[in-house]
Amino acid sequence: MKDVHVGEAPIQLKGVTKRFGRHTAVSSLDLEVPKGIITGLLGPNGSGKTTTLRMIMGILLPDEGEIRLLGGLPGVRQNGRVGYLPEERGVYRKMKVIDLLVFLGEIRGLARKDALEKAAHWLNRLQLEGWANKRTQDLSKGMQQKVQFIGTVLHDPSVLILDEPFSGLDPINQEVLENIVREFHDRGTTVLFSTHLMDHAERLCERVCLISNARKVLDSDLRELKRRERKGLVAVEYHGDDRWLRGPEVKEIRAFGEGVHLLLSDGADHQAILRRGVEAGVRIDRFELVEPRLHEIFVRHAGSPEDGDRPGERWAGRREVMAS
Amino acid sequence: MNGLKPIIRREYLQRVRSKWFLVGTFVAPVFFVGLMVVPWLYASSKEKAVKTVALVDETGILYELVAPRLEEAGFSVRQAAPGTEDVLRVQALEGDLGGYVVLGSDALSRGRVVFVGPEGPGLIGSMTIRSAVAQSALEVRLGDSASREDLEALLAGGMMEVSLLQEGGGGTKEDEPQFIGVFAGTMLLYMVILLYAVAVMRATLEEKTGRIVEILVSSVRPGTLMLGKVLGVGSVGLTQLAVWVAFGIVMLTLGLPALVAARPEMADPAFIAGALPGPGLAALFIALFLGGYFLYAAVYAAVGAMCSTEEEAQQAQFPVVMLLVVPVIFLMPIMENPNSTTAVVASFVPFFTPILMYARAGTGLIPLWQVLASLSLLYGAVLVVAWVAGRIYRVGILMQGKRPTLPELWRWVREA
Repeated sequence: MKDVHVGEAPIQLKGVTKRFGRHTAVSSLDLEVPKGIITGLLGPNGSGKTTTLRMIMGILLPDEGEIRLLGGLPGVRQNGRVGYLPEERGVYRKMKVIDLLVFLGEIRGLARKDALEKAAHWLNRLQLEGWANKRTQDLSKGMQQKVQFIGTVLHDPSVLILDEPFSGLDPINQEVLENIVREFHDRGTTVLFSTHLMDHAERLCERVCLISNARKVLDSDLRELKRRERKGLVAVEYHGDDRWLRGPEVKEIRAFGEGVHLLLSDGADHQAILRRGVEAGVRIDRFELVEPRLHEIFVRHAGSPEDGDRPGERWAGRREVMAS
Repeated sequence: MNGLKPIIRREYLQRVRSKWFLVGTFVAPVFFVGLMVVPWLYASSKEKAVKTVALVDETGILYELVAPRLEEAGFSVRQAAPGTEDVLRVQALEGDLGGYVVLGSDALSRGRVVFVGPEGPGLIGSMTIRSAVAQSALEVRLGDSASREDLEALLAGGMMEVSLLQEGGGGTKEDEPQFIGVFAGTMLLYMVILLYAVAVMRATLEEKTGRIVEILVSSVRPGTLMLGKVLGVGSVGLTQLAVWVAFGIVMLTLGLPALVAARPEMADPAFIAGALPGPGLAALFIALFLGGYFLYAAVYAAVGAMCSTEEEAQQAQFPVVMLLVVPVIFLMPIMENPNSTTAVVASFVPFFTPILMYARAGTGLIPLWQVLASLSLLYGAVLVVAWVAGRIYRVGILMQGKRPTLPELWRWVREA
């Protein structure tokens, strides 16, 4: 990578805006994806993740702002060193698996022979060697997805851009894929992936960027973020009336184990709640600051994920109690 | 153009290896030839019994003229005296004779004859007998004033030599053009252009509905992708045409002589030779096919790109099909009058050129500059249309949902 200076972020966005008609999909987004780091682009469906990734790949042009990919403008020339797995990833149904992989390698600039060798290697690696000469339509959805992933990494990219890479996979295959992503990371590959599943982000990311409603709401190192956010979540166990829990400090109340989790508003003081409880004469067995999960951090900063214009159905199930 | 070659190769190999290609390329021509040959084989097998006929000549002059004509067409003929019909009837019933024909006075005046036999003479047999009698009757009535060749020329409907007046010296055309050959060529042109252009639309739609296109355009430019599709499908088309032409040549060099040897009345080599395009017309065919294909394939690629489902595409392609169908509707009047103002103007419209220019040029009655000028216009239009279609394609292939309206399309073209 001659043209990428040490320390320069392989992916840089500055004030990027994209509109479709009257709808703004991405609004003045700044983002730097550091080299050799796994970064998660998080947000509910419809928040602008896919549009952002498409712009990074040069498939869409931003209306405003500037994007640099590996030190150059996005476009097919840069993309030879990028592995891109789009959210909408189909296969040619009538093609043989091996032919499809060689074709994908070739359009990314590999010689036919190299592509064939690498495809065979990866098929072995993912235990698909017996399927090389089957048509892709004979594969299960999970296997198709593995094949697509092979197509993405066949040309040894130095940057991986994965749009919802885990959706549609069973837990075992999710783990297989996660491990390969980690492996690429260990070899120094820069990874940017989008997901609306916070658990994956929590396991995999070193850095997260939260977007909601086309806007960036958080962009930080994950560990640092969690340390900073520790004040934001309180585990409470109590007996009695629950009115003392409601107040301007509390953004959301969720059932959790024996008691509840209180998600605090930004900068709110938990002492005020405790005081209210004592005054109300409620018996409080537990009142403890706990380390928040990514989901709670997201809710704290972006409001309910439901605020996205196309709320994801997966989000709905995670919310058990809502503050009224 | 990075990635163009693998895209063309994939498109070509996937199609050529498919079952439908094999069927369309190899089985279809065999099927068509079979469609023509089998009824004939069937008819000729039935005619065997009627091959031997007796002629009962009541006129006293027709036998000598009718018999050689029938023998030439494969009948064996013998003369029978009037009044021997009872014997003939027995012979026919016993199978020694296919039947007998009574040439009465009606035969001489109106060409009317009676055939008697256990079975009819069959379609071709009765045509042969009828025309042999009618020609002979005419020959008798014209007397010595006409030779047999003259008579046959007259009966074939005459012929016309066309001589074009040109300033600074006359160019002449030797033979009357063979209408059938040109017409068949025009229809073939219409068929293959439509067939392969629609295949481009299907291929585009497949990538769009199959959600493959985003992977592709992240690695190659949309223009490269579209060009690869068009060239890949076009190569398949040329391959198929080549196989068909090779098949036709084999049929003409091996099949036709065999046919002529077996049944001379069935095929006229001179007629077939005249129906085949000369080298000039064949070259024009290829040039028009390529130009027409590129033009329509680009439009169809754009149609495929702006639709999301097969049904939608069926509707959206309607106006495009009309562009191809309209010249076919006006084919007859234009071939009849290839130099009328309407014909000239219409054949210069690039979307009509492939069909109309071939038909007009096939008549042999139009100046060369018109052919060349319309070809230049056609290829110029290919560049313009491909540019516009490419911009629609680029935006369209990533769009899902509602088909764009015309103003939206115009915005795509402007902003892409």
